[in-house]
Amino acid sequence: MTRPVLLSALLLAGIAATGAGNGAWAQSSGGARALAPGVKVEVAPAPGSGSAPAAGKVDETALRYYARIGDGERLEAEIARLRALDPGWEPPKDLFAPQPTTPGVDETPFWNLLSAGKVAEARAAIAEQRRKSPSWQPSDKLLQELDTAESAGRIRSASDTRRWQEVVDAAAAHPEAVACNRLDNAWRLAEAYAELKQADRAFDTYRTIVSTCPKAKERRDTIFKASRYLSPDQLRELTALGATANPAKGEDYSTVRTAEAELETGRLLERLGAASSGAKPGALSAADLSRIQGIVRDKQDADGAIALGWYFQKQKNFAEAQSWFSQANGWAPSDKSAEGLVLAYNGLGEKAQARAAAAPWKGKSSRIDQALKAVDPPRGAGGGRSGPQGPSELDRALARQDFAECLSIIRSSIAKSGPTAALLQQRGWCLLEMKRPSEAEAAFAEAQAMAAREPAKGGQSAGAGGRTPAAAGLPQKATAAQENAYGQAVARLATGDTVGLTRDLPRANMTPAQKAEIRASLMATEANRALEDKRYNDVLRLLDARKELTPEPRNLGILRGWALYNLMRFDEAYAQFKSVDDRLSTEESREGVTITWKTIYHDW
Amino acid sequence: MPETPISGSPISGTARIGRRRAALLSVLAATTLLTSGCAGWVRDNLTQSPTPWRRVQPAALPVTLPDSRDFPIVAARMRDTGAVYKSYIVVLGNPTVLPGENRLTIDVQTLPDSLFGALVQPPRVFPVPLYTMETLLATTKREFPEMTVKVADAARRNRYGDYDYVTAQDGVNSCVLAWQLITDHKRMLPERIEAVRLEYRACGVGSNIRAMLAPFDGLSLTLPETVLEAQDLGGM
Repeated sequence: MTRPVLLSALLLAGIAATGAGNGAWAQSSGGARALAPGVKVEVAPAPGSGSAPAAGKVDETALRYYARIGDGERLEAEIARLRALDPGWEPPKDLFAPQPTTPGVDETPFWNLLSAGKVAEARAAIAEQRRKSPSWQPSDKLLQELDTAESAGRIRSASDTRRWQEVVDAAAAHPEAVACNRLDNAWRLAEAYAELKQADRAFDTYRTIVSTCPKAKERRDTIFKASRYLSPDQLRELTALGATANPAKGEDYSTVRTAEAELETGRLLERLGAASSGAKPGALSAADLSRIQGIVRDKQDADGAIALGWYFQKQKNFAEAQSWFSQANGWAPSDKSAEGLVLAYNGLGEKAQARAAAAPWKGKSSRIDQALKAVDPPRGAGGGRSGPQGPSELDRALARQDFAECLSIIRSSIAKSGPTAALLQQRGWCLLEMKRPSEAEAAFAEAQAMAAREPAKGGQSAGAGGRTPAAAGLPQKATAAQENAYGQAVARLATGDTVGLTRDLPRANMTPAQKAEIRASLMATEANRALEDKRYNDVLRLLDARKELTPEPRNLGILRGWALYNLMRFDEAYAQFKSVDDRLSTEESREGVTITWKTIYHDW
Repeated sequence: MPETPISGSPISGTARIGRRRAALLSVLAATTLLTSGCAGWVRDNLTQSPTPWRRVQPAALPVTLPDSRDFPIVAARMRDTGAVYKSYIVVLGNPTVLPGENRLTIDVQTLPDSLFGALVQPPRVFPVPLYTMETLLATTKREFPEMTVKVADAARRNRYGDYDYVTAQDGVNSCVLAWQLITDHKRMLPERIEAVRLEYRACGVGSNIRAMLAPFDGLSLTLPETVLEAQDLGGM
């Protein structure tokens, strides 16, 4: 990958404070040019080159170091920087030839430490060397790079701990630390301004980045970063600037231009989601709705169609909901879209259609099995009610995904006519949805006990000792006992009881599909834990084993990427993040791609 | 002490051989330990990480709660973080249809019992101060979405001193979130216990905040070591 030569020579507007606590961009001296009011960009020298070397004498230390380690991009940038300092200077012809050790001390070990981010160790090694050779002086370039790396570290650390003013102060003290080739720090500075409620400065910082850093991808990522803090108008301005200002050869800025539209779609979908969940029912205007429908259709966005489906389902516009869920299922069949379809058909009273929509996923997806309960409500494992046909109050609550109402209805039903195993089991599912897993587990256990007491009916076994329907190779349909055991396992997963669940799973009365699902979830939980514990080989081992049971979802794909990254398998990590990002680009996947890329190409 | 060699003495010869053998064994052991890194060493010491939660019987909890019809103990869990922290969650019944579990959490911070333990300590499992206005706001937003939240003006007292709390209400239900940090070594805490942190979250039907706080007001710590109550509770 090549980097435009200019890149390393662009200093992101000096941040020298213009007063106490004032973190405005520096009013740079000669060589600075204004890109926007109050924002200046220094064209030269490059990061770490605070003072110009004496005329006729160019410090080639860094140049030779980059040549020795084969970092072509930095080498190219350093050549450009030195030429800018001294137009008559030419790169030495023996740049790639093995060099005799410079008189005095070979600085390679210090540069190596610096490259590895071990700044304190580099300082210590230099001090030790100076103790051994008092007459030796480290090169200016090395000292400047150390200063810059320390400042960058200060910015990162202050930002990680949300000490925003310190971020601004550290950047002001050392503007080189927020150059284009340390874009992450520039983002952190902008974020600090935003968090300090200095919106104008945050905007100026983002604006400087998108108009000076030449890479289209970096400009685009900056716009996504800025979207958290800036108004739609400001984002529009930023996008326009990013797509046109200071274009570099070979860069395609059309992706910058599309960022705004993608953000807008994201915002609309978010509002749609809020409206669907009932958080802000009136948050979406007719114009917004029509716009988002157009976008979803154009992009054949299945997730967007599902969001629209739930929006209309919530409005009880079942016909429109059915249409969107069908559309989603057509574009990308999934149990999520089928679930919506089942409930939408059910809302329309078309139970046969609902069952048909569920058929491909029945017994394979707990989501679908749950939705089918709204179509064919459980009658109780041992007889139970033989109620009237048509959706009951409870069915309607489930179709609306109104789980609080589900609990109310079950409570009054139990108060009126006593508990049944089916009611208790349904209570368990609703409690799980309400993030009350301990009570859910108790409800499933109670349902289990009650089912064991109720007389068995039909082909379903009622108790823990009931027969399994795996006979004769028929597809497994979970019995009431198995459903209860499965519910308890899901609840235990939610409470974090992974050790106990792993121990009990082999003996649990569940269908093989249910066991595989729980086992896969356990492995995912353990993989997450392993990542937190920095046991990266374990993460991969668990994810590989899980992948044999079920396809890997994108969040675990990202987890895999970080495990590879931390094992320093950067190429594999990059390929992993890229493959996730290429399918659907999100902030997490973009972050993985960017960080891995920067690590591989030493582009911090 | 410098050795005085006594050549020719069989006893001293045996002693010397013994010492040399011991030295050799020490070197071998040290070499084995150093070179065993290839197969027997991992980068991080996981003894400082929290263990997974495990279920415990209510009787094994270091707390007793007053009997409550609305807030019975549904489940209890515990975990360790290093040798220093023990954390417990007591899940209580939730008579409402609101999301989220009612619970009492207890974190006990003990002092390390060895020099190594003092040098290698896990990060603290609870922040001090327990809350800032910002973190409290974020927590109440998460715990009590769409409810009207109010920070109590005055602290309340239970057996272990003052505690702070917030209330949250909607048309039908009320919730409380109370928190307390016990660090009084003069009277309450034994030498080995550095701090105890309590947090209590309960939602109930109606608007009787005192009834919701009753389990927290009446709880009694039953740690293996003696924890004394605060004085002058005014008849509590």
